[in-house]
Amino acid sequence: MSLVTIGISGYGVYVPRLRIKKEDYAKAWGSFSAAGVGEKSVMGFDEDVLTAAAKVSRRALESVPTTPNSVTRFAIASTSPPYLEKLLSGTVMVSVGMPNYALSSDHITSTRAGTEAMLAGFEHVTANPKGVALVAAADAPLASMWDSIEHALGAGAAAFVLSNENLIAELEGHASYASEYFGERFKSRNETLVHDLNVKKFSESSLIKNATSAGTALLNKLGRKPEEYNHVVIQQPDARVPATIGARMQFTDLQLAAGMTAKVLGDLGAASTPVSLAAVLDVAKVGDKIMVISYGSGAGSDALSFKVVSDRKSTIRFQAEADRKEYIDYVKYLKLKGAIL
Amino acid sequence: MKKVAIVGAGQSRYGEFPDKGIKELFHEAYSDMTKSVDKNFDPKAIEAAYIGNLGSGGFQLGNMSALVSEYVGLPHILTMRIENACASGGYALVAAIMDVLSGTHKVALAGGVEKMTDVSGTKQKYWLGVSGDTEYERLAGTTFAGLYALIAHRHMYEFGTKREQLSMVAVKNHKNGAQNPKAQFQREITLEQAVKGPIVAYPLNLFDCCSTTDGASAVMVCDAEIAKQYTDTPIYVGGFGTSSDYLAIHDRVNTTTLEGTRKASERAYAMAGLSAKDIQAAEVHDCFTIAELLAYEDLGFCNKGEAGKFIEEGHTQIGGDKPVNASGGLKSKGHPIGSTGTGQAYEMFNQLRGTVQKPARQVKGAEIGLIHNVGGSGGTVSVTIMRR
Amino acid sequence: MAHVSVPMYWRTIPQRYRLVGLKCKKCGSVNFPPKGVCKYCNASSEFEEIKLSGRGKVHTFVLISAGGAPPEFADQEKAGGQYPVAIVQLEEGPKVIGQIADADPKEVKMDMPVTTELRKIYTEEGVIRYGFKFVPERK
Repeated sequence: MSLVTIGISGYGVYVPRLRIKKEDYAKAWGSFSAAGVGEKSVMGFDEDVLTAAAKVSRRALESVPTTPNSVTRFAIASTSPPYLEKLLSGTVMVSVGMPNYALSSDHITSTRAGTEAMLAGFEHVTANPKGVALVAAADAPLASMWDSIEHALGAGAAAFVLSNENLIAELEGHASYASEYFGERFKSRNETLVHDLNVKKFSESSLIKNATSAGTALLNKLGRKPEEYNHVVIQQPDARVPATIGARMQFTDLQLAAGMTAKVLGDLGAASTPVSLAAVLDVAKVGDKIMVISYGSGAGSDALSFKVVSDRKSTIRFQAEADRKEYIDYVKYLKLKGAIL
Repeated sequence: MKKVAIVGAGQSRYGEFPDKGIKELFHEAYSDMTKSVDKNFDPKAIEAAYIGNLGSGGFQLGNMSALVSEYVGLPHILTMRIENACASGGYALVAAIMDVLSGTHKVALAGGVEKMTDVSGTKQKYWLGVSGDTEYERLAGTTFAGLYALIAHRHMYEFGTKREQLSMVAVKNHKNGAQNPKAQFQREITLEQAVKGPIVAYPLNLFDCCSTTDGASAVMVCDAEIAKQYTDTPIYVGGFGTSSDYLAIHDRVNTTTLEGTRKASERAYAMAGLSAKDIQAAEVHDCFTIAELLAYEDLGFCNKGEAGKFIEEGHTQIGGDKPVNASGGLKSKGHPIGSTGTGQAYEMFNQLRGTVQKPARQVKGAEIGLIHNVGGSGGTVSVTIMRR
Repeated sequence: MAHVSVPMYWRTIPQRYRLVGLKCKKCGSVNFPPKGVCKYCNASSEFEEIKLSGRGKVHTFVLISAGGAPPEFADQEKAGGQYPVAIVQLEEGPKVIGQIADADPKEVKMDMPVTTELRKIYTEEGVIRYGFKFVPERK
């Protein structure tokens, strides 16, 4: 078993400029259903998951810095790809300039896809000492306007360069847990809109079971206690779930604070933990330990543990992206989203 | 030059005619032309027909020249569809002139026809939008309004051309068109209306843009030596010139010049032994108001950058020293793409003979006229000088 | 609807995704989009490929409203409002037309510095056509 140190050597993040406030939703519907979300991001008409993935991929490469032709492994993750069958990686690889011979994979069927893709990238650089993996998670999930699940859905992207040199954060270990649950956040083959049967307690039990199993397994593997982590990033279908999981795993609100992107961006789907990880890396200090726990319905979780080893940061910070905004009203929001529905 | 003459010219009404297709429109123009020939008209003398046509919504992409020629009783002659976007008619005229000049034939018809109002708005915009650079200009999200707006904006930025000066073109041409019974629009507009029009492609508004139109025109071109057979007052071709240019505006050296117009007019003036100051009346290609201002400059009527001042000072009004578009121009008369160039020849034929339908539009004593026809955003340009 | 066939669009991917231009071996000028014969010297068909940076300045621009939008951009205008299109003077020499994305139309100015990024251009035959658009340069 290889003991090569691997980790993140560069990262980039993108948040679309357009935002909508919860008050505008409440005006339209009488109430707003996304707990803890104050406003969220919206893709422009001419953007999608692939254009966002291309953008963050470039930013991640620039932050190392390294050139696109150094990439040997590419992975893209999203629950809202523009095609259900067509190699998504191809568009991004060619746009960014990665080699055609790089191994690529598309990860698409749950909001766990982001960490799935990261782990695939880590496996590659573990097995290939000279390997460089680029992992991009970009998402802009869609649901019916009539559905309360729609309220939280936002848009965003993050990408990571993974290798075994010039690291910003080392991967200390990971653990996963997969199981069978259904009726929660799904769309079948002929649907474009995600929906949920709203069996609330049942769904929550799936979230808790998968997330805490993966997280606890990792703590045990590493012989760690929860309080040893400076930052904890947990999947954010809204801004309250992390506290729910955190309570069961004895993570505090303070540990969760830096990664709470849902408060201003909404639910970023497969990009939720990646974007939140990027936000945390922006403010983390050398020596900090970061725990990431993702969750995808149906169901499964990945847990990853990082140790920050450099104070090198990405070229464009999460906060700068979050602060760069233009508000739109609900009518314009409908027009932008309705164009795809 | 005086080797080639024009002895007859006709035009259909320009407008929207659900009951007329390209055959019927062409027939209307052709009949009008035959009636304008003062004596001895004989269809059997016509040996060739060059017909300008973009595509008329795509229904007869192949062989339309044969179709409309046989419809008007010319079944077994040389027929050719000439296509250079909105300059198709102007080039059809040039083709007929070159035919006669070469000695191949003695009498050739130059005509044009376009049917634009049969198809849906969406399909129409497709047909209108593919004569610029399709790959980049079209897919950047522009139609011709957008492309000419790019030129207008740069012209305003470089030379200080004003919004009002653009609108003066529309006001002048509507004023002239109101006196043209064949024009699509016969209604004057005020400067305030023109300036405040709804934005189509900033800085251009609705009143800066010509409309879509059905129409046809036909001109009888013949060897000057036999012209007097047909009329005591033939009009002669003084000279002609054409030029192409880079299709995409971004490929051109100068955004505010139509090099096609500059070169075509240089060539026409050279052939005719004349210069810009000799031109006493002109029909220019005002598909958009900025296009007329550019024409003043690129045809040499005024210096580059001074077109706004030129129109503001009144030079191009009927009664001014350089009357432009006494017919109402494309703006008021209409712009049936394939027909526009030969329609300009029809107008100039009548201006130079003093036979314009309504005296208010007659440029008095004009002996030398120029017609200017531009394809798309300037990819092709033809200029013909006509004289008594 | 515009009609640019799938192979025809695909052939322009080096330009649309990667801004590949052609540097004339004879006169050194950069042709973008490509030409068969160098348009600056009109004398050579020998080029080397060069990837342009995408950086440039707005040479002129237009704001397209509904009346000026081609059908394949009608929905974009309806959903997002007026959109800017510019001819940009690229730093390597050529000028090229492109939409300006991610910008408030009121903020677009002559000589404004811009860069390029990948965006959705339009969809035809169910196939999404991606390509470069300009965005205001980030300070």
